[in-house]
Amino acid sequence: MSENKILCNTGSVDLSVNDISEELEQLTNSKDSKLELTPANADSGLAKLVLTLVELIRKLIEKQALRRVDGGLLTDEEIERLGETLMKLEMKMEELKKHFNLTDRDLNINLGPLGDLM
Amino acid sequence: MIYAILSVKKNPGKLDPLLAGIKGISGAGLYAVLVDKVAVAVCDINKVDLVADKSGAIEYASVIETLAQQYTLLPVRYGSVMESAGTIKKLLKRNYVEIQQNLKKVENKFEFGLKVFCDSEKLIAELKAESKETNEVEQKSGSEIQNSVFREYINKKLKEHRREEMMLSYVDSVIAELTEFLTHLNTVNKIKKMASPKNIIDAVFLLKKDKIEEMVQAIKDFQSKYPELNFILTGPWPPYNFVEFTIK
Repeated sequence: MSENKILCNTGSVDLSVNDISEELEQLTNSKDSKLELTPANADSGLAKLVLTLVELIRKLIEKQALRRVDGGLLTDEEIERLGETLMKLEMKMEELKKHFNLTDRDLNINLGPLGDLM
Repeated sequence: MIYAILSVKKNPGKLDPLLAGIKGISGAGLYAVLVDKVAVAVCDINKVDLVADKSGAIEYASVIETLAQQYTLLPVRYGSVMESAGTIKKLLKRNYVEIQQNLKKVENKFEFGLKVFCDSEKLIAELKAESKETNEVEQKSGSEIQNSVFREYINKKLKEHRREEMMLSYVDSVIAELTEFLTHLNTVNKIKKMASPKNIIDAVFLLKKDKIEEMVQAIKDFQSKYPELNFILTGPWPPYNFVEFTIK
């Protein structure tokens, strides 16, 4: 971004133009977050797609469950059971990611103007 | 290659000399394809030679930028290629009404971008310190920890969840205030929150150029009110984020 386009840049957070450029570069660098399916990588490409959806659903379930805990809607026993379920789900996801050699960043598809999926 | 769709109802005679003075990608000469009061700025290019890289995109944007100084225009996506001037004319005729509507929407207006950055860790710590109620809740949940690994897991997740909610509610309040102010300036806004942990607000506005000073002053006032944030206002840009029609 050229300096003469910056009309106002103020604040106590120590951010130089380079820091901002880096931050923007990261936001727009969607190379890792694109789903690239080719005959050679059909297995891992499909695994990435499926695991992305599973991870999205897992996170939604977790969020909803935590809202219920936070709202005091669950008994101690239910919270205990929920903790066990969520923990096991997360562990299973870690296993699957390791198996398919995927990272958290891989499981976040870029949806163009809508931003990242997660 | 197509650069932009321009309204030539004002200064139609100036367009050709202006285009003649601008070099397109790889030094290609620009010219206009005209249908009634709408023109398309184009250059001839071999599609095989077109490389979509950063420097090409910057060259492309600078052409649009120069044209936007003189004409109301709709920027076209980088790399848009049509096979002939005849095809472009047909496209203009088919989409004439939508193009005119979009041109009217952005007439005499420019796009401005506002990015709000923060040190998220520091900000959350400040928000937590401010929120006595949350501290009490967290202390309560901490004291409730039993000798269960599952319970500890839930407590850890709950803590993260509350931090996120706190941050979101803070960002929502800044956005609400910002939106209220922008309605006075009669802007069209698009606001995205939490683009990244550091970039908590990413907004674009369509604003009349004579309102720039007012906008800059308002952002400075926001800055004084929120010293923990960095407000970066950029512009004027061609209306990249406000062209809304699908080519038929």
